[in-house]
Amino acid sequence: MAREKRFKESAKGAGLTFQEMISKLSNFWAGQGAVCALPYDLEVGAGTMCPETFFRVLGPEPWKVAYVQPSRRPADGRYGENPNRLLKHTQMQVILKPPPLNVQDVYLQSLRDIGIDFRHHDIRFEEDNWEAPTLGAWGIGWQVMLDGLEITQFTYFQQSGGVDLDPISVELTYGLERIAAFLQNVNDVYQVKWNSSLTYGDLRRTEEFELSLYDFEMASIQTCRSLFNLYEEEASTFLERYAESKESESEALMDTGRSHMATEHGPRATDGLLPTPLTSLPTVHRFPLRKVYEFCLKCSHLFNILDARGAISVTERVALIARIRKLATGVAQVYLDQSTAVQEVRSA
Amino acid sequence: MKELETFRSEPLLLEVGSEEIPARVLAAAEQSLGKRLEGVLQKLRLLPSEASSIKTFSTPRRLVAFVPEVLLRQPEKTEEIAGPPFKVAFDKDGRPTRAAESFAQKNGVTVESLVRIETPKGLYLGVRRLVRGRLARELLAEELPGVILGIGFPKSMYWTSKTGPRFIRPIRWLVALMGEGTRSRAIPFEIAGVEARNYTYGHRVAGAAKIRTHGFEEFSRKLRERQVEISPQCRRDRVKNDIEVLLEASSLRAVDDPALEDWVVNSTEWPRAIMGGFDQRFLNLPREILVTVMRDHQKYFAVEDVQGNLQPKFIAVMNVDSDPEGFIRQGHERVLTARFSDAEFFWQADQKRPLPDRMDILERVTYQAQLGSYADKIRRMEAITLEICAQLEGQGRLASGEKEQALRAVRLSKCDLTTQMVGEFPELQGVVGGLYARVQGEPQAVADAIYDHYKPQSVEDGCPRSVVGSIVSLADKLDSLVAGFAAGLDPTGSSDPFGLRRAGNGIVKIVMEHLKLNLLPLVAIVAEMDFGLPPAENLTSRLEEFLQDRTAYYLQSVAGLRYDTVRAMVSGAGTVPIPDLCELGKALERVHDTEDFQALAVAAKRTRNILEKSAKAEDFGELKGVDAALFRTQEERDLYNAYLGALNVVDSYEASSDYASALVKLAELRPFVDRFFDKVLVMDQDVSVRANRLRLLSELMAGAFSRFVDLSQIESTALTSVGVPTSGMENGKRMP
Repeated sequence: MAREKRFKESAKGAGLTFQEMISKLSNFWAGQGAVCALPYDLEVGAGTMCPETFFRVLGPEPWKVAYVQPSRRPADGRYGENPNRLLKHTQMQVILKPPPLNVQDVYLQSLRDIGIDFRHHDIRFEEDNWEAPTLGAWGIGWQVMLDGLEITQFTYFQQSGGVDLDPISVELTYGLERIAAFLQNVNDVYQVKWNSSLTYGDLRRTEEFELSLYDFEMASIQTCRSLFNLYEEEASTFLERYAESKESESEALMDTGRSHMATEHGPRATDGLLPTPLTSLPTVHRFPLRKVYEFCLKCSHLFNILDARGAISVTERVALIARIRKLATGVAQVYLDQSTAVQEVRSA
Repeated sequence: MKELETFRSEPLLLEVGSEEIPARVLAAAEQSLGKRLEGVLQKLRLLPSEASSIKTFSTPRRLVAFVPEVLLRQPEKTEEIAGPPFKVAFDKDGRPTRAAESFAQKNGVTVESLVRIETPKGLYLGVRRLVRGRLARELLAEELPGVILGIGFPKSMYWTSKTGPRFIRPIRWLVALMGEGTRSRAIPFEIAGVEARNYTYGHRVAGAAKIRTHGFEEFSRKLRERQVEISPQCRRDRVKNDIEVLLEASSLRAVDDPALEDWVVNSTEWPRAIMGGFDQRFLNLPREILVTVMRDHQKYFAVEDVQGNLQPKFIAVMNVDSDPEGFIRQGHERVLTARFSDAEFFWQADQKRPLPDRMDILERVTYQAQLGSYADKIRRMEAITLEICAQLEGQGRLASGEKEQALRAVRLSKCDLTTQMVGEFPELQGVVGGLYARVQGEPQAVADAIYDHYKPQSVEDGCPRSVVGSIVSLADKLDSLVAGFAAGLDPTGSSDPFGLRRAGNGIVKIVMEHLKLNLLPLVAIVAEMDFGLPPAENLTSRLEEFLQDRTAYYLQSVAGLRYDTVRAMVSGAGTVPIPDLCELGKALERVHDTEDFQALAVAAKRTRNILEKSAKAEDFGELKGVDAALFRTQEERDLYNAYLGALNVVDSYEASSDYASALVKLAELRPFVDRFFDKVLVMDQDVSVRANRLRLLSELMAGAFSRFVDLSQIESTALTSVGVPTSGMENGKRMP
């Protein structure tokens, strides 16, 4: 009953439902030539952390992608009670590499597509430079404000994984719940119509409560710390062994003088050439890159939980961020090694 | 070089079209563009007159410069190239040599057309010719990219690739036009693939189509038609006028906020103010929180009545012409309501756990890894507070109850760090604690002290309102400083992650202006307290040195004292208590330039030189003090007597803090000092005479030359009129 009444009240907004809006935006960007990728199946703080962004903005290859990404920020949890604040909110992430000259206009067109009429609204680009120190990533840009409401982060990426980007990518991050509430003219994100019969609250409120409960009150600090250490250790072991293999490979190559062998035939072919312990070492062609990156993301999420639990001091924060960043920059470097190696093979 | 003629001139219009430039850098960028353009036009000799008439304008999407007159072509100039020296160019018969011939050949002229050129180095053979000026269009095409890309920004970006240009935001169009009307032509250049053309763009959504332009007047008129006002001053006037109109009927006013006004002017192309409202119930929240949300988070002007009571209204500045259906107002109201609801929620949730019940949370909140929790910090602050109170009590300057109030405020001072409100609005730390303390029934004095205890945030900021507030602030900052130094967090160069310089500045300001405490002894006591901090080497002396620097900074930046005055005072470390330093500095600057004082300063330098460089420790002998029986000359006897006589007088001046008179009195020693140095050889052959003279100088140094200030640090204002010490006499070289 109550639900029906809510729908009647918000019907005058006549905005798109949450799922209609998502599909409209996806279609819009598909029309712009973007790959419509799937959400990433791991906890991330933002769509930026997905491999489709983190890795693909590196290196020279053009890339256009759009995907919806549920993103978790434990400290923003409000037990499902706050009308605007969510622990897990939904982003639409778009990467345009390189960006078109009229990238701002294209973005505004995407808003028109979902029903925002700029004859009746005030859209502004206000300075906001984005930074993710754990990823060694930062960019220059704006928060896009619609009648005083922040609806998108618009960023010219300058660095990711500690690597200067070339070419530059534009990243658009839409805050979908806010935009939906705006379109549907409701004051509470939980009242947003997900489809014609269910609200955002119906689908998500319990989850918000449970995640808040854990992240704020119940998470075992000790367990989270141990998990952090375990994931970090696993990731850094891989990165260290990779560094070792890279070193011995280059030594071996120098010894044999058969530098093309390793890349032409892949690591299996080189096994016989290299000292025996190397057989188990990850090499540029056999490195579980995205898996190691997952460990890095796990650390990042555990860090956020510990932070929400109030377990991290100012100085420890700096140290933990540096540890995650080390993994992220290490992984980014392997990615670049890999794409260089692939190019060498192609050109050979 | 001679200007031969002036040419026709035409107006120049330059516009850099950009994606939205941050409001905070816009005004500086506009100014920089004008300066750089003017500099280049001057360098290229393209301005017809000396007086600059460049006009500049800006909006978030454009930087504009207009020059009414630019020469179409550089003026001609005669150019002289010096060749071989005249003597070499012609042989003794006056015939041109090979040198002259090859020089002529190189320059494509005959020897006959060469001329004599007189230079400071002598007579040369040379060539003189008229050089035709180049076209402004060509020159500007070469120079304008540099003019634009050279504008300095605090944080610029790439938008194409690492090898591409850097600017504050991507450049999307360029207008560079010489001439007006049908004669106007674009200057051909490009930046990152964007070519300078003769069209611009209007308001992003209200007038986005291309606008052709043939000159400045048309340019600004057509832009205005498409909802772009390029003049920041006109936009400012309009915002002010709009606000006036909105509030005309009521007797209300917008809370004055120049920084916010700058921001709205620099973040809009077509500003229009609208008024919105919010639920009356939010007025139950404190003004501080409401204004912070409106101003800092939403960029709204708060509205108050003539008594200064906040009203449930706000003024937002749009970047569109109107809001006929009220959609934009509703949007702002909704966002503000959500933010206020957040604040209200935090306020209510926070009250469930009053400040005193939050101490045990502080036990678990780390202040700094080596320095324990915030609860540990509070315990240290309590001990420091007791010491501050003891010193104030010793001077009879602590009213009854103030000690207890200070201790209570210290105890609760950091509890607000655990509240959701401060989590949301970190800039309100302290303020929130004070507000909560008040509603939770703490005495007003305690609440105010908590509220104020982060003040002063800078040397410009005010001290806390009450003595109790200043005690709490001082205890907090002293702890940060002492504990920080103990943990080796001393600021180095530009790195000061714990903000210790700011804490130091606050400490100096409080003791100088409010609590009038003698700082260094207090710091020494605090540094000795047993807080179980990491053992640190030279803690007290590091702190002293640091605080002397902060004191010097304060005296220069706030009291406006001269550099050498300040150096003389803080390196003196004499008997003057810190609160009197400003008085002393002013007194010093009054006598600074008098002849006697200057001469005395020279004598002080000379004395310090002898004591520290020429004399060895054993030269001072076994005895202590000056022995009149060992004087051998009238001059040393006179000096000593004059010194003893002055001392009594100076003591009494000092007791009444009359530093000006004390310094004048000291300056009267000058003739005695001069005669002493004229006639007396300090490093006498007789060991005991020499030792006695050195001891006399030691006493003078301590009792007069560095008593209030270190006179040896005073810079001479007129070096020629006073004797510069020669070290020959004192360095012992003349001794057999």
